[in-house]
Amino acid sequence: MVGLGAALIGGGFSIAGGLFGASAAKKQQKEAAKEKRRLQNKLNNLEASRQAIINPYQDLSSMISNPFSNLSVATGAAEMKIEQADIALANTLDTLRTTGASAGGATALAQAALKSKKGVAASIEMQEKQNEDKRAAGEKQKQDALMKEGQRVQQGEAWEFGQREKREMQELDRTAGLLGAAQAAEAQAAADGGSAMAGALGTLGGIAGGLFSK
Amino acid sequence: MENNNILQNLFLKQFNESNAIAYNKDFVSNPRDYNFQLLDNAYRNAGKIYAQIKIAIETNKCESEHCALELAQIKQLEEAPQASLDFLSSIIAELNVTEESSFDPNNNYQYTVANSLMTAKPGFSKTDGYNAYLNLLPDGSQEIAFTGPLFKKQVNTFLNDKPITIEVEDPLVINSAALQALADSDTSLVVSTPDIGSDMQRLLTEVGLFDLDSIGEDKQLKASAKISEEFIVRNIDGSYDYEIIDLGEGKGKNILKFDLEKIEKKVSPFINAEAAGLMSSEQDVIAAWNVYISKDTSVDEDAQMAQDANAGNTSWIYEIDLPLEYDKKVLFEIKYKQYFMNNYLKQFTTNQPPTIKEDAAVFDLAEAKKAQAQKFLDDNNLN
Repeated sequence: MVGLGAALIGGGFSIAGGLFGASAAKKQQKEAAKEKRRLQNKLNNLEASRQAIINPYQDLSSMISNPFSNLSVATGAAEMKIEQADIALANTLDTLRTTGASAGGATALAQAALKSKKGVAASIEMQEKQNEDKRAAGEKQKQDALMKEGQRVQQGEAWEFGQREKREMQELDRTAGLLGAAQAAEAQAAADGGSAMAGALGTLGGIAGGLFSK
Repeated sequence: MENNNILQNLFLKQFNESNAIAYNKDFVSNPRDYNFQLLDNAYRNAGKIYAQIKIAIETNKCESEHCALELAQIKQLEEAPQASLDFLSSIIAELNVTEESSFDPNNNYQYTVANSLMTAKPGFSKTDGYNAYLNLLPDGSQEIAFTGPLFKKQVNTFLNDKPITIEVEDPLVINSAALQALADSDTSLVVSTPDIGSDMQRLLTEVGLFDLDSIGEDKQLKASAKISEEFIVRNIDGSYDYEIIDLGEGKGKNILKFDLEKIEKKVSPFINAEAAGLMSSEQDVIAAWNVYISKDTSVDEDAQMAQDANAGNTSWIYEIDLPLEYDKKVLFEIKYKQYFMNNYLKQFTTNQPPTIKEDAAVFDLAEAKKAQAQKFLDDNNLN
């Protein structure tokens, strides 16, 4: 090929040899550059379209609440009981008034009614106390759960960071490896082309009788 | 119907590969002159011109003020040899693409002819009417021109008021500055078709369908490679959900079923990224489309089909279709994925025998059907 090339191109064997060597190097250089661009585009696309990392330990603390925080006291029945006591007292007083009973009987009745009302108040107080206890127990459970959740979220963040770090490092390594290889191939091809051309240039300078040697 | 350019390219390819010229008595019996002498001719008068300018400068006989023009000409001439070598090596590198096995015949066929000249192929000598010239231009750039029987075009004209078609010279001229500008913008004169076969083989190992032990040290899939278990369809009880193949004569065998939807979901981002990588050069996309993707032919098929290995009338034309429209890019991505699925992945999801030895045995179809029916009844409490 070089012998034939010398005739085709002119200038002798060293020029033809240098030219064909340089052209092969140029082609390699171009292919390496093309590969570099392709890889860069591919990696950009992979990075842009990769799936978000789902944290299995995501923060669920907003879902934790104290179910006993808003317990109400069942006052309806108590109020009815008081009402009934009042009605009973009024009825009894009417009867006493009609039958002319003594004042002592009325006093006893009023005391009974008062006692009944006190019983109701005590019941409400007890309910309130029970509710307060439940609220406190619930609050403790909530705090415990929140603390556990906090620890779990911390674990999750560490896991997520680890996963992302691992994946990004893999990609970065791969990018660096592939692009580095393509860049090295491109540089090597350029160097090969340069050395192939060096001898040819000297010969070409002599074509016009040493014209270009100043 | 294929266009004339494709036909010319395919004819040249066949001509150069067929060895037919060896049986041409006229060719064999006569000498052939390949002495195009590009450099000798280009620099023949350069010495005289250089000397004249040099003398003019040294004797203060310049035509321009302060010899500015003459000094610039001297500089150009001194730099010309290096420029010629750079230019010619670039031209040879570009034209060499026409010899690649996956060359897209939609490239201008004149480049194939020019390469035949530069590589002294039989039938493209001065004796056959071809020639090539290297010209040093006043602006410092250089040009190469190719002439000959295949560098002609037909022109419609009139002779005595009658329409006629005549053939006129249509040399292929390439300017060094233009070629350099193309190179600087990562554009090729002649497009080298991407090696889709290698890309797809590599892609197979990257899409996450195969376990690591299926990939060899050469980063290629091993012959024994199998798709990971997670993509094989199983029954609720964990057993394999086989597809039964009728072997004839009442016999059948099990083959694995694959979750193709899951597989496609898994591979899609990787295929899209691969296609996006190709989009870094739209010329490459067209070449890949024309040679492989459009007709969905595999590399092996292309090798076997020889001349028909191109998109024919569904080709995208470089001169018309660049820059690529959005719709074409989308179509390319879709067909690229299909190409991968059909030509490279399908072999791993088709006719795969069970991994459990007992399940791989040939069985009686009637009994198997009966057993299947009974299982259905059992599973659904229909007994």
